[in-house]
Amino acid sequence: MRNYEDDFALDDLLSPAHQARLLELLGKLSGASFALNAHDDGASRPLEFNLDTLGWLKAELPAEQHQAAVRLYELVLFYAGKYRLAANLHHDATEASYLELQQKHAAVQASEEKYKQLAQRLTQQVEEQVRVIKKAQQELYESARLRAVGQLAAGIAHEINTPIGFIGSNLRVANDYLDELEASLPDSHETAMLFEDFHALLDESSSGTKRIARIVSDLKTFSNIDQADFAACDINALITTACRLIQAEQNQVLPLSLRLGELPEVAGYPAKLSQAFYNVLDNATKSLEAGGQIRVASRVQDNALEVLIEDEGCGMPDDILARAFEPFFTTRDVGAGSGLGLSVTRDILVAHRGEVRMESRLGEGTCVTLRIPVN
Amino acid sequence: MATYSSSENKLVLKIVYYGPALSGKTTNLMQLHSQLRPQRKGELMALETRDDRTLFFDMLPIGLRSEGGLDLRVKLYTVPGQVQHDSTRKAVLSRADGAIFVADSQLNQQDNNAFAFDNLAANLQKLGMDIEQLPLAVQFNKRDRQDAIEEHKLRARWSSTPWAPLTLASALNGQGVVESFRQLLGRLYPAVDAEFALARDHAIDSQAFIQNLSATGGPSNA
Ligand SMILES: Nc1nc2c(ncn2[C@@H]2O[C@H](COP(=O)(O)OP(=O)(O)OP(=O)(O)O)[C@@H](O)[C@H]2O)c(=O)[nH]1
Ligand SMILES: [Mg+2]
Repeated sequence: MRNYEDDFALDDLLSPAHQARLLELLGKLSGASFALNAHDDGASRPLEFNLDTLGWLKAELPAEQHQAAVRLYELVLFYAGKYRLAANLHHDATEASYLELQQKHAAVQASEEKYKQLAQRLTQQVEEQVRVIKKAQQELYESARLRAVGQLAAGIAHEINTPIGFIGSNLRVANDYLDELEASLPDSHETAMLFEDFHALLDESSSGTKRIARIVSDLKTFSNIDQADFAACDINALITTACRLIQAEQNQVLPLSLRLGELPEVAGYPAKLSQAFYNVLDNATKSLEAGGQIRVASRVQDNALEVLIEDEGCGMPDDILARAFEPFFTTRDVGAGSGLGLSVTRDILVAHRGEVRMESRLGEGTCVTLRIPVN
Repeated sequence: MATYSSSENKLVLKIVYYGPALSGKTTNLMQLHSQLRPQRKGELMALETRDDRTLFFDMLPIGLRSEGGLDLRVKLYTVPGQVQHDSTRKAVLSRADGAIFVADSQLNQQDNNAFAFDNLAANLQKLGMDIEQLPLAVQFNKRDRQDAIEEHKLRARWSSTPWAPLTLASALNGQGVVESFRQLLGRLYPAVDAEFALARDHAIDSQAFIQNLSATGGPSNA
């Protein structure tokens, strides 16, 4: 790049056309002919600009006139030079300003980018915090709910246990009385029919009380009333309880088959594990609208205890499967479920250093595997 | 930055007069133009002025030819002092080999002096130079003014800077102008000699450098 202060050649200051014009005008003024040479040939005088000799002016003229022509030429060069210098300076200054502007612009862009990233990071952090808070809230809610249900169940179980106890024993005594009464009455076809009916009635009531007693005891297990928080758990017993409870809740006999293997006891929270099994069973049951089986199995595999709950229900597509563990995600009608089932289940298993795996095929069924490591 | 062309054996140096508006930079150059009798002296070019104020710059070329044939040129520039011409000021300052800071002695101009001095440092930095490294002379001009700041105060203020001693001038009356220029030449010589071996290769020592470029008459004005 040429700098504004570079020394100029003649052509930088005057175009060749103007140089020719100037020589022509000088010629007309003086009546002699002028020529411009690059070198001194003895009959020429130097043209100077800023201490530089830019050319040699040749003319057949007396010294004084020759000198005057040179001075006139130099005057033209002086003003042409001033213009050139000013123009070059202007160019340099503008270019420098533009460069500075570009640098500033780049700096502004860089800082803008920095702030954008910062904002993004902050947003991420806020989202992360919100997620943590939501989860904590959910857990709090869930454990509070579990506790409330547990307390309610404990209360009911306690209240029902005593009357159901004496109803049961009263029914047995009543049955004995009935035998005595039957023996003391004259034999007749009508009375025989009556007593048969009466016995059947009492037997039915008796088995009903037994069922109530069992439900009460399951409820106690489920709500962990009798056990310390953290205890050695018999997983098979917890599975059985959960299955019975779900049957009782459905008020029908479910097509449910159990294949429970030999399991070691594991330390854990029985009530929570029951809740986990119950949640998965609940989902399996609800998927069976068009019929099918539920198979529950337990086994030890790769140093972990596995509970497999498999149904032949409606299954789910991949996109729903991918979101199945999100809290509040549900495909059921609003009100039919909290959508918390699987996320709570997973949290419970994670609390036991375990995990939940789920496979599903739309229209074919779902298999949920709950794994708890055996230490 | 000095440029040397070996084909022409020509060395061109650039000295810039810097300072606040109306401090007398152009007046300094006009005085040098009339007082100096260096070997070679060109025309004083004043590029664009309005109401006596420089809009682009002024330029005066002087030079000498050493016995060994070195064509040494010194181009003296003034910058426009007015605040708004900063980009022009910076363009003129670029590639300077040395500078003379012309401060205004009037009491009410001291803030402007400081501002202009900071501006010089800032512009040098933007151009990749360092004010501590650049050969620099500081002149307090307009000593003839009634309201000029007292000399002992000035000297005390500047005594601990790299630029002491100051030079004092009354450029309008032609006083102190050549002295300031000589001081700068004295500070410039070592840098130029270090780069271009003036003494060794061209037989120009500090004294010859200063004398020949700042002669005010006598035999060197051949
Ligand atoms: N009294 C007095 N006036 C001075 C002196 N030197 C310069 N002046 C006056 O100050 C005014 C400005 O001088 P310039 O040389 O044009 O100042 P400048 O520094 O070139 O100003 P800019 O081109 O605007 O930066 C002129 O009216 C000068 O006559 C001085 O030594 N004493
Ligand atoms: Mg000026």
